[in-house]
Amino acid sequence: MIEIRNISFSYKDAPALKDINLYIAKGESIALIGPNGSGKSTLLKIINGILFPQRGEYFFDGTSITAKRLEDNAFSKKFHKRIGFVFQSSDSQLFNPTVYDEIAFAPRQMGLSEGEIERRVSDLLKLLQIEELRCRVPYHLSGGEKRKVAVASVLAHNPDVLVLDEPMNGLDPKTKRFLRDLLIKLNSHGKTIICSTHDFEYVDGVFKRAVVFSKEHTIIRDDEYGRIISDDEFLYENNIK
Amino acid sequence: MDWLFREDRYEPGSDSLKFIDKSLMSILKILSKIDRLGGQRRGILYGVTPPLKLISTILTVVCVSTSRDATFLLSAGLFVLINLIMLEKSDRKRVLALGITASSFSAVMLIPSMATGNIINSLIIVYKVLLTVSMANILSVSTGWFDVSASLKLLLIPDIFILVLEITLKYIYLLGEISLNMLTALKIRSIGKNNNKYSSISALMGNLFLKSKEMGEELYSAMECRGFTGEYKRVLAFNISRIDAVYAIIVLALTAAYF
Ligand SMILES: Nc1ncnc2c1ncn2[C@@H]1O[C@H](COP(=O)(O)OP(=O)(O)O)[C@@H](O)[C@H]1O
Ligand SMILES: [Mg+2]
Repeated sequence: MIEIRNISFSYKDAPALKDINLYIAKGESIALIGPNGSGKSTLLKIINGILFPQRGEYFFDGTSITAKRLEDNAFSKKFHKRIGFVFQSSDSQLFNPTVYDEIAFAPRQMGLSEGEIERRVSDLLKLLQIEELRCRVPYHLSGGEKRKVAVASVLAHNPDVLVLDEPMNGLDPKTKRFLRDLLIKLNSHGKTIICSTHDFEYVDGVFKRAVVFSKEHTIIRDDEYGRIISDDEFLYENNIK
Repeated sequence: MDWLFREDRYEPGSDSLKFIDKSLMSILKILSKIDRLGGQRRGILYGVTPPLKLISTILTVVCVSTSRDATFLLSAGLFVLINLIMLEKSDRKRVLALGITASSFSAVMLIPSMATGNIINSLIIVYKVLLTVSMANILSVSTGWFDVSASLKLLLIPDIFILVLEITLKYIYLLGEISLNMLTALKIRSIGKNNNKYSSISALMGNLFLKSKEMGEELYSAMECRGFTGEYKRVLAFNISRIDAVYAIIVLALTAAYF
């Protein structure tokens, strides 16, 4: 479903990804692991069609994703509907006047009826246990609450692929466990989960596969999650544990 | 490296932190106002549906400014008075303070005209300024900003414009908060004499600018990821309650007195 072929990406002054190859099938749950600055966020942004690699190609369901292709509004909407992105910083993601409007944003973009939207939003508020936040202003919330709203607002368009950038960062243990259980549940219902992390607490049981990035911005290992996580020597050597 | 692991004996020289304190205070003040965006308060006037309040306010402001009829102007004064009574105490104080400031300014400006004998007309103008400024502020204190911006839809303001307005509000808040944090950081690290506060502040502003650019870019991608391609529909949800009906009747009666 997601195919990354020989992708390299540099920001103006710094390389971020070097010759990355990755294939992710439908229904997988995969962790991108690596030290700070190894390029995880950059890859996630490429997968979401926010950045475009200088070299290599990215295929989503067989279609090559390029800046030009996404200029076509109909295609762009269809693509973004199928893939949801929870940003590392929730602040940049929340821009609506109320939590309700925030979650309703994508369904409204899809042109659903207000009745259907009301149902989706209510379901999500319940699923994420944030019903009491319904009428609050999103950017006045605490970090954990913001993250939950951000997740709800992405689930609202019911994407097939859910991409999360260090979703556990800054959450309290209870919220982490809650999010872990949610990810497991979503994955068991067929959603593809792609998630960057450098924290292995509270994520047990979520991932089946892990891809490890080095500080040189390359992939150094692509293996079963359990096997990588129990290889202490390897993790220590690569500044992951 | 051993300096890090030893205790320092340090007595700071005298230095005034006034500048930073002042900037902190003014930012805090702005933020506390924006915080009203979300707060919910009790009281009849706070419960009137925002679109109705917005339209009524505009209507009465227009009527008051164009009317020359004493009965109407007096009943409008009564209306404002009743509104004021229904506000919370702190809000009432603010509205009064602003209204009185504005009308005293216009009184001062009208002194030449009064000196030439145009006293009644000048007083009417001062009175009108007091009324209209108070009405605008009553709307502002009794209604969340986002409720007002959403109500603009009824005035045929395009949805995308409302979106921009609301995102701007968000950024005023967020950037305010960021600069507050940066100023606080500057303050708690200003442990010695810093003769160069203005340059610290300008570095801080530069940072803020870059930050806002970055946030703007990321926000736009976040919107795209959720299906935004340039169209936006602001949904205006309101239901009419009994309070609204009473309010509407009063406003209608008032405007009837105008004609
Ligand atoms: N907007 C940007 N401009 C310039 N360089 C950037 C930008 N974002 C990230 N980088 C650089 O690209 C590299 C990879 O960053 P990133 O993908 O954020 O890593 P990770 O998410 O794994 O911590 C880092 O060296 C970082 O400094
Ligand atoms: Mg990152």
